[in-house]
Amino acid sequence: MTAEATTPVLRAEDVTVRFTGRDATVNAVNGVSFTLDPGEVLCILGESGSGKSVTLRALMRLLPARRTQLSGRIELAGQDVMAMSHRALADLRGTEVGMIFQEPMVAFDPVYTVGRQITETIVRHEGTSREEARRRAIDLLDRVRIPSPERRLRAYPHELSGGMRQRAMIALALCCNPTLLLADEPTTALDATVQIQILLLLRELQRELGMAVIFVTHDVGVAVEIADRIAVMYGGKFMETGPVREIMRNPRHPYTQGLLSSTVHGSLRGKTLEAIPGSPPDMTRLPPGCAFAPRCRFAEPGCETPPAATQLTPQHMVRCIRAA
Amino acid sequence: MTRAPDAKDGALLEVRELRKYFPVRGGILNRAVGWVQAVDDVDFDVLPGEVLGIVGESGCGKSTTARLLMHLIRADAGRIAFDGEAVRPDDAAGLRELRRRMQMVFQDSYSSLNPRLPIEDTIMFGPKVHGVSAAEARERARELFSLVGLDPAQFIRRYPHELSGGQRQRVNIARALALEPRLLILDEAVSALDKSVEAQVLNLLLTLRRELGLTYIFISHDLNVVQYMSDRVLVMYLGKVVEIGPTAEIYERMQHPYTEALLSAMPSMDPDRRTETPPLVGDPPNPIDPPPGCRFHTRCRFAESVCSRAEPRLGPAAGQDRANGAGHLVACHMRVAGSGHSQAPART
Repeated sequence: MTAEATTPVLRAEDVTVRFTGRDATVNAVNGVSFTLDPGEVLCILGESGSGKSVTLRALMRLLPARRTQLSGRIELAGQDVMAMSHRALADLRGTEVGMIFQEPMVAFDPVYTVGRQITETIVRHEGTSREEARRRAIDLLDRVRIPSPERRLRAYPHELSGGMRQRAMIALALCCNPTLLLADEPTTALDATVQIQILLLLRELQRELGMAVIFVTHDVGVAVEIADRIAVMYGGKFMETGPVREIMRNPRHPYTQGLLSSTVHGSLRGKTLEAIPGSPPDMTRLPPGCAFAPRCRFAEPGCETPPAATQLTPQHMVRCIRAA
Repeated sequence: MTRAPDAKDGALLEVRELRKYFPVRGGILNRAVGWVQAVDDVDFDVLPGEVLGIVGESGCGKSTTARLLMHLIRADAGRIAFDGEAVRPDDAAGLRELRRRMQMVFQDSYSSLNPRLPIEDTIMFGPKVHGVSAAEARERARELFSLVGLDPAQFIRRYPHELSGGQRQRVNIARALALEPRLLILDEAVSALDKSVEAQVLNLLLTLRRELGLTYIFISHDLNVVQYMSDRVLVMYLGKVVEIGPTAEIYERMQHPYTEALLSAMPSMDPDRRTETPPLVGDPPNPIDPPPGCRFHTRCRFAESVCSRAEPRLGPAAGQDRANGAGHLVACHMRVAGSGHSQAPART
């Protein structure tokens, strides 16, 4: 599948998000551009405060309007998201675009049963009959491997275990066959044996339904399990993007290299970990040039101007003067 | 790791038949309607100078175990001995002394520091309670800041909210070290940190252990980190120890089906060797009224009728001559001769 031959599901250009407060302005996202092909899984990998979740929410304009300055261009299935009315946006969320979060209790209303919330979504967006919607809901719960789906439809969210709730949320997100799924750390709160089940389920559903997915995570291991392409984010920018194999085997940005070498695995036993010194940047006071420069062991005077994106290959981009 | 057979006598911490059930209350009379069997007959030793990792999924009892060891909550039954001396839960002076020699670092670096105190005062607090003069406690606080890699001149008067998560966790480690303990219990101490910062703190912990001759109980849900840190690993499932042994034994020659499943749920880190089938289906069962017999039998692909009837005891793993303090022990009917499981070895 070549990029030229297909129309992208999503095109983001120079997306910038600032949160203005009384004392400071948080530069959360500082010019993110990318395109997403149909059926492609992009993982945004970053640490806390890197702007990964804000980017995801900005794509659907889900940030509090009063305190947020959002700029750039976002085009979803040919429509200009930035120009859409609230009504049109509400129609888009849940039909073209499904969303899942880390904490399923936020996605569900605690006072209605799971079944009612799924059927209501189907009726609201597609205008089908309640009976038809119920049949679809049972089918969906079955598809996300929830045992005895008819009984679970009558359950309230708090009556389900963590893994089941996450499955139910996936069912809710998929109920109108979205072309794009936005996933914000959906497996982070889960135990290892449940996390892998949910990842495998998402991978399988993604293949079956041909959805494009943007998956935000801080966990390299999770990204490797699910991504086609990885975007490494730091200081509100994509520092490096590339196919998952390329990023894992040939990381070119010093931050990506540091992140991979400080991710602990067993074979490092007995060796001192190559940690990145210092801590992540304060987003209210980002350095003028490369945001990673203060922690980078290769930093040089040239890093004080923002590094341009260098395309090493058509798929592999890195934002570092050493690669230019 | 090689140890003399009498290593058991030299255990720094000995835990025997430790048990804690929490009542589940309900109904109009608020009576106990069920029991969460959080920790049920747990036995293990911690040897001087080692790092004992404890792994398991949420609800397996690993944090409750830590709290029981610190006597933050009272055990229903069991014996704990520190450095050969039995710990008596009603002896207040003895407990204070125990908590001097055994300290804990928690996951949430913010809530374990007093937000209204400069961090220096937090660190001085423990020594002062234990009778050290203010001047001496201040001197010690400065040394501790340097020890955990924070510049005293820059940090000492700061408040917790002025620090990053990694810096706060360094302060918590300094606080725990202020009383010169022998044993540190690290309960998910690096789990909330970003990966780049986590590596710094892990390096610090291993340096401190080497320099101060510390012993750690390292509790984590992150199996990679536990493998990196630990000399021995204890695997818990629903309040029970299912397997314990040297790290390499547990990670390469595990004998309990749960340990195997847990380890194969680790992401591969290799895009060409992605996991294809989940090692387990479903969620861990509710720890309220757990399954009878082997608690894992409801999710175990080898389960037979004996597994739901009888509870397997922790015993020497295959290839182990006898149970010593550092040996490989497993609680599974498949490993016990004559247990009635079809895969059990023949009785000799």
